[in-house]
Amino acid sequence: MKKLLERHIEWLRPFFQPGGKLQWLYPLHEANETFLLTPAEVTHGAPHVRDQIDLKRVMIMVVLALIPATLFGIYNAGYQFNLANVVEGADFWDHVIKGLWLCLPIILVSYAVGGFWEVLFALIRKHPVSEGFLVTGLLFPLTLPPTQPLWQVAMGVTFGTVIGKEIFGGTGFNVLNPALTARAFLYFAYPVSISGDVWVPLVKGGPIAEGFSGATPLGIGAAASVGTESFVDTLSNAGYTLKTLFFGLHPGSIGETSMVAILIGLVILMISGIASWRIILSGLLGLTFASTIFQHFAGGPNLKVLAELPFYYQAMIGSFAFGLVFMATDPVSATATNPGKWVYGFLIGALIVAIRVSNPAYPEATMLVILFMNIMAPLIDHIVLQAHIKRRNRHVHA
Amino acid sequence: MASFSIRKGLKIKLVGAPEPTITDAPDSATVAVAPAEFGPIKLRLDVKEGDHVKRGQPLFHDKHTPAFRGVAPAAGVVSTIEYGARRTVRRIVITRDENDVAESYPRLDPTGARTMERGALLELLQNTGLLALIRQRPFGKTADAEATPKSIFVNGMASAPFTADINVVIKGREIAFQAGLDALTRLTDGKVFLCLNGDATNAAALTDARNVEVHTFVGPHPSGNTSVHISKLAPMAPTDVVWTITAVDLLQIGHLLLNGEVPSHRIIALGGPGVAEGARRYYRARVGLPLKTLLDGRLADGELRVVRGDVLSGTIADSDDVVRLLDTGYTVLPEDRERHVFGWMMPGFTFYSASRSFASRWFGGLRRAWALGTNQHGELRPMVLTGLYDKYMPMNILVDYVVRAVLAHDTDEAIKLGILETLPEDYALCAFVCPSKMDLMGIIRQGLADIEKEGI
Repeated sequence: MKKLLERHIEWLRPFFQPGGKLQWLYPLHEANETFLLTPAEVTHGAPHVRDQIDLKRVMIMVVLALIPATLFGIYNAGYQFNLANVVEGADFWDHVIKGLWLCLPIILVSYAVGGFWEVLFALIRKHPVSEGFLVTGLLFPLTLPPTQPLWQVAMGVTFGTVIGKEIFGGTGFNVLNPALTARAFLYFAYPVSISGDVWVPLVKGGPIAEGFSGATPLGIGAAASVGTESFVDTLSNAGYTLKTLFFGLHPGSIGETSMVAILIGLVILMISGIASWRIILSGLLGLTFASTIFQHFAGGPNLKVLAELPFYYQAMIGSFAFGLVFMATDPVSATATNPGKWVYGFLIGALIVAIRVSNPAYPEATMLVILFMNIMAPLIDHIVLQAHIKRRNRHVHA
Repeated sequence: MASFSIRKGLKIKLVGAPEPTITDAPDSATVAVAPAEFGPIKLRLDVKEGDHVKRGQPLFHDKHTPAFRGVAPAAGVVSTIEYGARRTVRRIVITRDENDVAESYPRLDPTGARTMERGALLELLQNTGLLALIRQRPFGKTADAEATPKSIFVNGMASAPFTADINVVIKGREIAFQAGLDALTRLTDGKVFLCLNGDATNAAALTDARNVEVHTFVGPHPSGNTSVHISKLAPMAPTDVVWTITAVDLLQIGHLLLNGEVPSHRIIALGGPGVAEGARRYYRARVGLPLKTLLDGRLADGELRVVRGDVLSGTIADSDDVVRLLDTGYTVLPEDRERHVFGWMMPGFTFYSASRSFASRWFGGLRRAWALGTNQHGELRPMVLTGLYDKYMPMNILVDYVVRAVLAHDTDEAIKLGILETLPEDYALCAFVCPSKMDLMGIIRQGLADIEKEGI
């Protein structure tokens, strides 16, 4: 197998090398080659030995961490469809097949269009194709409702890849998380498709399950007004208990609903050491801190009913968990210093709750808060750096 | 005596550690000097082809510091002067005499160095070229006799795989070592520090060294790097000058002081997976000896790379290289060009990695010894993971930002962030674990060169 691949690569190589007919496609050949076989390149100087890890491995670990959320999202999309449209006798496999029917095209379009831009820029810049789009291409669709029109998916991923990343110089140079940039673009360009009751596709004119609303917990929170009934009860009447929130068989963006799937992803990211535990932990602390404070003032003026929720509800509703684990930890757009990571994570957690409890129209704040903090990250790092320099001065002049 | 425990870093276990025994290396009819080892000097020859030279006789000097000489490592006839690009002198080859007559200097008794004049000592070191064994920070260049160092650090430990171990080399040379230390105390108004490995059984001549401060360090590499010792014991401000020397090199100076002549030999450690089993040990090799003579019949089969120094910070030796004045050891590695099918998604039981994304890491991978080759295991990519490097930098340095400052040609910022406290070798582990395969050491080297050129 290896011999065969090596021979295949050697046979292809002359076409792509300088002077070959397809020399302008070299980055594509290179991507293909290093996909099949690890590179044969040896070190050019010190250090003469290198660790086995490369960026491909890093990115593939993130993709691996996203797989549980993807699989669950696919199943859940089918399940929600069959539930809402009263499909009689639908079993597990019916849910899976329906889910694939709904979600797979979104994922494929995201990968195909995102990959197209990535390769195009690599060809023009004569750079190797970056592995970053493996993650972006999957992360982005998981933040979308299963009803998202495919042409919008293509528009979003184009914007995210080109404006969010490539114009800065590609992977590693971007200020914003490309997947979130893509989603933010869709949110502002096509708000009708990504907010409101878009989470479950309904068959036109078909029967609708009794009591079906398709509303997410945050949607309920935005619509409800402060009343006699506690909001936790309101949620539980709508079918959202701690248990259902944890398992995640409810409407929402494809990847965000199941805490189980996100936790598996978190474990993969933590044990492989790729995501920063500081950001995750401080994000949870920020959320806990803010929700405890707002809970104290719940019912007060200008606060929505969502303020009544204790932190463990806040952590499980909306896309907080998904955003914190997979988006906030993106090392390129997050803060780079360790103290900076604590501040960055904490503010993400706290700001998400603050917006949820005070924004009258649109309670889902995760995406915009993380993008906002992406922009703030260099400033936080700058402050940390100045303090570091001061401390260093004291140290060396002691 | 204080003991420092270093926690950040990584102990890379490599197959092929040299046995702690010293054997005589074969001799050769010719020796050579490569002026390149003294850094970028404006070379002026003091001899021509056909001249007879004694061991220790000057062959060339630097136009800018005429007092500093490069000397003949053995007596004989200058047979060829080889020129490289742009008429730089690449090598000076000497055909050896049988009776290796040496230029002679006054012999000191064991405590004689204690009373030596600083000026006289420096003159001796310059005349014999052994001043090059003393390195100067910032920039890690040959010590400048005009400068007065704030302190001098003697490195008596080695945490990178296969740096010559002072405890092997010092046997029988204890008096020379103390004489060397005594001489160093004459060169600075400040302290002389001797830093030892706290985990090793150190020779009494080391632990009981007189007239200097002895400290121990324990922990993974880079606990043995001089930069780490300086930062813990006497941190450098950007304008400070500190001299450093390895304990192994100090023995050469001690030998000069006691015997009144430039040492003809030095002890070389030879290790690494590319050295044949049984040949991995220490050799007493003539300075200037062609590496071919030393390595012939001692290497494993296959395509190999001979590294001058250790695998983390050494340089690649050419096929016609010689044992240089500053060499303490060689590591030989297989050039590993093997490719793995879908290596990026295999569990990775057989891959060495400090990252927990490979299965080997979960099954004692870091405790096993590995026969690592030179494969880069990936291609150059932009910097992505942040904070990773800092786990391998046990100093008050934010590696990401130092690197960024250099890349942005912001030398002021780089200085503020502490680049002058470091040498490229301090970033070797960061480069080792870097998933983007960045040339961090090259970047830092460039940054230091830029600062040296601009002036601090």
